[in-house]
Amino acid sequence: MSRSRILGRLDRLEWEGPDLPDLPAGAEGADPVWRFVRAAGEAGAIVGDGRGGRLEECLQEVLRVTGAEEIYWEDEEALAGHGIEYRLRDPRAFQDGKLVYSLHPNGRPGFPLLLHSRPRTGQHLERIGLSAASATRGVADTGTLLHETGAGRGRLLSILPPAHLFLLRVSDVVADAAALFESWTPGEASLATLVTGPSRTADIEKTLVIGVHGPRQCLVILTGS
Amino acid sequence: MKTTTPLRFRSNSREALNDRQLRDNLRHTLGKTLHSREAAVAELPHWEQLRRHARAVKLHTLSRLGRTLRRLEAAVLERGGTVLWAETAAQATQLVLDLAHRRDFTRIVKSKSMLGEEIGLNEALERRLEVVETDLGEFVVQLAGQRPSHLVAPALHLSRAQVAALFEEKLEVSVGQDVERITAAARSIMRRHFQRAQMGITGVNFAAADSGTLVVVENEGNARLSVSVPRLHVAIMGIEKVIPRLADLSVFLPLLIRSATGQRITSYVDLIQGPRRPDEPDGPPEFVLILVDNGRSRILADPALRETLACIRCGACQNVCPVFQSVGGHAYGSTYQGPIGAILTPQLDGVGQAPEHPFASSLCGACREACPVGIPIPEILVELRGRVQSRKGAQAWRIPGRKWAFALWAWCCSSPGRYRRLLRLSRRLWPLAERLPRGAARSWSLGRTLPHPAPRPFRDLYRDRKEGP
Repeated sequence: MSRSRILGRLDRLEWEGPDLPDLPAGAEGADPVWRFVRAAGEAGAIVGDGRGGRLEECLQEVLRVTGAEEIYWEDEEALAGHGIEYRLRDPRAFQDGKLVYSLHPNGRPGFPLLLHSRPRTGQHLERIGLSAASATRGVADTGTLLHETGAGRGRLLSILPPAHLFLLRVSDVVADAAALFESWTPGEASLATLVTGPSRTADIEKTLVIGVHGPRQCLVILTGS
Repeated sequence: MKTTTPLRFRSNSREALNDRQLRDNLRHTLGKTLHSREAAVAELPHWEQLRRHARAVKLHTLSRLGRTLRRLEAAVLERGGTVLWAETAAQATQLVLDLAHRRDFTRIVKSKSMLGEEIGLNEALERRLEVVETDLGEFVVQLAGQRPSHLVAPALHLSRAQVAALFEEKLEVSVGQDVERITAAARSIMRRHFQRAQMGITGVNFAAADSGTLVVVENEGNARLSVSVPRLHVAIMGIEKVIPRLADLSVFLPLLIRSATGQRITSYVDLIQGPRRPDEPDGPPEFVLILVDNGRSRILADPALRETLACIRCGACQNVCPVFQSVGGHAYGSTYQGPIGAILTPQLDGVGQAPEHPFASSLCGACREACPVGIPIPEILVELRGRVQSRKGAQAWRIPGRKWAFALWAWCCSSPGRYRRLLRLSRRLWPLAERLPRGAARSWSLGRTLPHPAPRPFRDLYRDRKEGP
C-alpha cells in the first residue's frame, strides 16, 4: 500500500531539524482602518465609508459605479449585521436557500430594503450583476477581506458576478496577516477566501488585465462606529 | 514528466539563443517582473527575518515529514475529505482517472498545478476525458500544444501577437492584439467549460496540518471556480508542501507572493477545508486530496540535497538567473526550469536523465540570494556536477588531459618560484594558447575574448611599489 510505504520511508528518515520558530506577533499600528482604506484602494478596490449614517449614500454610489439595478444579498448577516433595515417578502427566503435580492430601478437604495427572492439555479446565478456579502475580517496591511462560507453562505455568489460588494465592520479590521491568524482560526467553513481587489491576470506579457474569472469590481463599504 | 532519452540542455539552448522573438519576449517580460519584485521586497524591512522564519519552518517540517503528513491526513478526514497516497507519477494519474471513471465523469476543469505537469496528468487524462486548463497562461500553453516555460508565468515565452494568432487559429475568435480582448474571450469560453465540468482539479501551495486547510494562491479566480462549481474537487500535492501551522501563512504568503509576482498579496488566497457542509448552499459534495511522493522521499534521504524540497515554487530564482534570462524555460526540456529546475530535475528523474542540467549555471549565486527560503542552490549544483562527472564513461563534460592539466597547475602554484616562472612563461606562450582552444574549452571561449596577460605581473608591480622608487 502506497500510504504505508511512503510513511515507512519517511519515518526512517527523521533527523534533528531546527525547532519550530515562534509565530510572529501581529502588528499594532495606529489607525488600521485608514491603512486598510489606502491598501484596498491601491489593490484596485473601491472603498466607501458608510459610518455615521452614510450607508444609504454609499449603496447609491455602489449602484452608480456598477450600473446594477439589483443587489443579491448573501445572508441576513450582510444586512442586519451592518445596520441595514430590510423587509423580506418571503420571510423564509434565506432559510430556504433562495437567491434574495433588492430592486433599484432608479439607482436609489431606499431603506428599508424590500427583498424579493427567486430559486437558486445556475441560470439565475450567471445573470447576477452585483452581489453583497459580509466580510469576517479586514486586513489593513494589504487591504484584504476575509470571506467564509457557512450556513446559507455559499461559494458561488461572491465569485460569479462581475461586481461584488463587501460590508466590513471597522471593529473587524486587523493590522496584518499575523494579527489575522491570532484573532481568527478556521472554523466550520468549507472554504474561506482572502480577497484583495478585483480578479486580475498578467499572464500575457505581464500586462495587467482586470476581471478574468472573478469579479471585475471589488467594492467595500465600512460600517460600525 | 519523465522522458526516456536524456535531456539535452546544451543543444536546446543554442537554438533558443538564436531565436530572436523568444529573447525579445523574455527580456520584455522578465524586466517587468524583476522590477516589481524588487519594489515589493524593499517595502518589507524585516524581509530577512521572514526568510529565516520560513526556512526554519520548512526544514523543521522536512525533518519530521511523516508525522506532519499524518496530522494533515487526520485533519482532512475530520473535515469530511478523502486522502489518497501515490508513490509514483503513474499511480497518481491512475488515481485521478479512477476517480473520474467510477463516477462516469468526462469533463474536467483544471487550475494551474506544477505537480500536474510533473506527473504528466494532462497527457494521461486527455486520452479519454476532456481536460481544460483554466489559468489564462496555462490555457494559452495548452492551446499551443506546448508546456509551461516558467513556474509562475507559464506563457512567458509568448508575445501578445503570438497569443492573438493562436486564439484566431484554434478558437476562431478575432481579438486583434489586445490583451483585454484576449482575456475577455478566454473568460467567456471558460465560463461554458465551468458550467459543464463535473470535476475540478487544483494544485496546492501550502497544506496546514493543524487545521486541515489547503491553500491555493491565485489572481484570476479560476481556482475558486474550480473548487466551487464541479461536483468533485481533487487537490493534488507533493508531500513536501505540508506546513505544521496555518498561522505560518503570515510569513509564507508575503514571501511567496512578493517573490513571485511583486504583489503585496494576490487577489485570492483560497483556504480550502473539505467538501461542502450540509447547511452550505453550494460547493462540491466530494473532496479528495492526493498526496504524491514521486521521488521526494528519495531526495529527502540525501542530506546533501534534501533542502531542495524546501522550495515554494515562486519562480524568483528563474527571474534573476542570467542563464534562464537568455534561453528561457523550454531549453531545459523539463517540468522545472531555471536554477530550481537544474537541481530538482536530476534528483527527480536521475542525474542520467538530465546530465547537463547542473551545468546550466554560471554559479553566480543570484538564485540563492533571491530564494525566499534560502535554498543553497549553487552548492547543490556543484554537488550534482560532481555526481554527474563521477559516472564512469557518462560524464556531461570530457576534457582530454584534464587530470594532468590540473595536476600540473597544482604543482606550479604550490611554490612561489614555480608560480613566477609559470607567469613569465605564459606571456610568451599566449599567442599559441589563443589558437589552441578546442572541445569544452572552445565552447567557453566562443563569444568571449581571451584576456591578454599584463606586460608586468601584479606581483612585480606590488614589489616595486613596496620597495619604493
